[in-house]
Amino acid sequence: MAASTSLRFAFVLFWISVLASTALSDLVISKIDRRVDLTSQIVRVVSTLKVENRGHDTVSEVLLPFPDIQAKNMAYLKSSYHEGKGKGKQSAISLPVTLVHPEGMPPELTFYSVSLPRGLGKGDSFTLDVLTVFAHSLKPFPAEITQADAQLVVYQDSAYYISPYEVKVQTLAVRLPSGRVESYTKYPSTKLVDSEIKYGPFENLPPFSYIPIAVHFESSYPFVVVQELEREIEISHWGNVQITEHYNLVHGGAHIKGGFSRIDYQSRPPMRGESSIRHLIARLPPRAHSVYYRDEIGNISTSHLWANSKMTHFEIEPRYPLFGGWRTSFTIGYGLPLRDFLFESDGKRFLNTTFGCPINEIIIDHLIVKVVLPEGSKEISATVPFITNQWQEVKYSHLDIVGRPVIVLEKTNVVPEHNMHFQVYYKFNNLALLMEPFLLISGFFFLFIACIVYMHTDMSISKSSASYLAKQQLDEVRATVQQVQNIINRVLSVHNKLETSLRDLSRTGDVQSCKAVRKAADGLFKDLAKELKPLLGFLQSSPQASQIWPKVEELVAKEKEMQEKLMAKHSTVVDSFEKKHAKRDVENRVASIEQKLAILRQEVDELLDTIDDF
Amino acid sequence: MASKPITSPVPVEWYPSLSVLMLSIGLVLTASFFIYEATSSKRSRSLSKEITIGAVASFFLGFGSLFLLLATGVYV
Repeated sequence: MAASTSLRFAFVLFWISVLASTALSDLVISKIDRRVDLTSQIVRVVSTLKVENRGHDTVSEVLLPFPDIQAKNMAYLKSSYHEGKGKGKQSAISLPVTLVHPEGMPPELTFYSVSLPRGLGKGDSFTLDVLTVFAHSLKPFPAEITQADAQLVVYQDSAYYISPYEVKVQTLAVRLPSGRVESYTKYPSTKLVDSEIKYGPFENLPPFSYIPIAVHFESSYPFVVVQELEREIEISHWGNVQITEHYNLVHGGAHIKGGFSRIDYQSRPPMRGESSIRHLIARLPPRAHSVYYRDEIGNISTSHLWANSKMTHFEIEPRYPLFGGWRTSFTIGYGLPLRDFLFESDGKRFLNTTFGCPINEIIIDHLIVKVVLPEGSKEISATVPFITNQWQEVKYSHLDIVGRPVIVLEKTNVVPEHNMHFQVYYKFNNLALLMEPFLLISGFFFLFIACIVYMHTDMSISKSSASYLAKQQLDEVRATVQQVQNIINRVLSVHNKLETSLRDLSRTGDVQSCKAVRKAADGLFKDLAKELKPLLGFLQSSPQASQIWPKVEELVAKEKEMQEKLMAKHSTVVDSFEKKHAKRDVENRVASIEQKLAILRQEVDELLDTIDDF
Repeated sequence: MASKPITSPVPVEWYPSLSVLMLSIGLVLTASFFIYEATSSKRSRSLSKEITIGAVASFFLGFGSLFLLLATGVYV
């Protein structure tokens, strides 16, 4: 592996020497400091370039070349500069970077072009910072180790900064996780101080100068590589943002050779496998709730959660420690309050959340972010600060009719630097929120309607059989008896009204209103008697009613008697009131009637009860 | 850019109590609906009364079950 890489570098070198004469010569890099950070599995290179224009034409862009071997692992490239100098330095302002294919350049190099904020005139200089992040650039060597071995890795680069411009002064510093270095390429002016290797300063180098270096060192950092991560962000306007993350994880470091000993792992710390993945820490947003951690076979109980007002720490342990080449897959999920992530501006709603995964210092080979918007969202667009593949899908979930629109963002080679905020804009009408309850309501209503229809339909097959006809008639009789009961009850309520009017009369002495009540009652009695007549006629003639008919007849008779008595009482009382008889006299006169009324009332009540049981 | 956060139409903390309240009203109405169906005879039954009770009961049951789903963490 190392040998083939060197060969390719040599090939590059060949091309470089051929094409060096055609290099751009207007710009000169007067000073460049490169700092390579190898403390984790992710390689971060911070370069500070000072470019100077020695030509006559104004220059507004700087080319940054990368050998293809590096370019294919490059995950992130950011260029920025600081306005002002010294103490007046302000925060970094980023510069636009684009991939370009300039003519006449070696094909083994990939070029990026940084646009400067202003054109550089003759003799002007400009200082910019470039951060490049590489994934999978540390190769384990040896590629297989036993459980007790330390993990050794190799990093390759050029000691000289590869540039299409002449470089005046340059230095390179490589920071390692520890001072334990197996070997490193030594040139004059190379020194190892603590855990840092320094190359340079090198002076006055022509364009495309190149000398390879290799650093072979110990890194016990667990190489957590997520081969595929699918994040699903589901928005519910009922107050929740649900995030579900499916991880497909592999230990990307040196493969394990020989067996795994749990006893060594548990009891002998030096033998335990320093570079294995013991646990992962996810930093979830504050106020995360309903956090879970599971895989295909169920809940994984080895997890811990701490929460404070700024962050929710979620520590998860895989089911087994992960050694080189071992893989696992699991799912974590959590809910977040809606108000922290969903906003409204200019009539549009937007989700504002982070792109990458919440676990620290991992490389994601293939990341898919799905934002599931509520049903009825329109005019969906996503704003992501870097290039992603985007497309739209439809997802069917709880209580959906047409499905929820999903915007999918896909990106490969994702590093923690990509953990930036992105926005998904969409339009949503609040009335669409009522779709879900409406669906539930119509479901229940359908049930009731089904019951009503069932109760109202006649399902019998033979509609002419004797038993069927008998049942029909019995039903009719029952309905008629119920109607009779209703009428009697209404009559009784009129009785009560009359009694009340009498009491009012003795209290207020208002004869007119009492007479009015009487008149109304007379009318009502007449109407009700009219209503009652056909019902009684039907009951009398129906053979099915033979049992109940005597009772009904008796009831009607008793009621009539009661009505007469009451009328008599009413007339007597009103009459004596008008003639101003003594109160006692009146009471004496109606006492006998009242007695009879009470008896009748009791009888009528009993009859109503017996009919009720029919 | 003035952007204001969006919140749920009903405070999230109310979901459990709302669900209990509306479901119990809905179940009482459902019970009264079935009692009416069982006790009234075919001829004396009034369709409009049945439909009214059914509609009101399904309104309460619908919202009650929605809030039950939300309270248990199934954000629809």
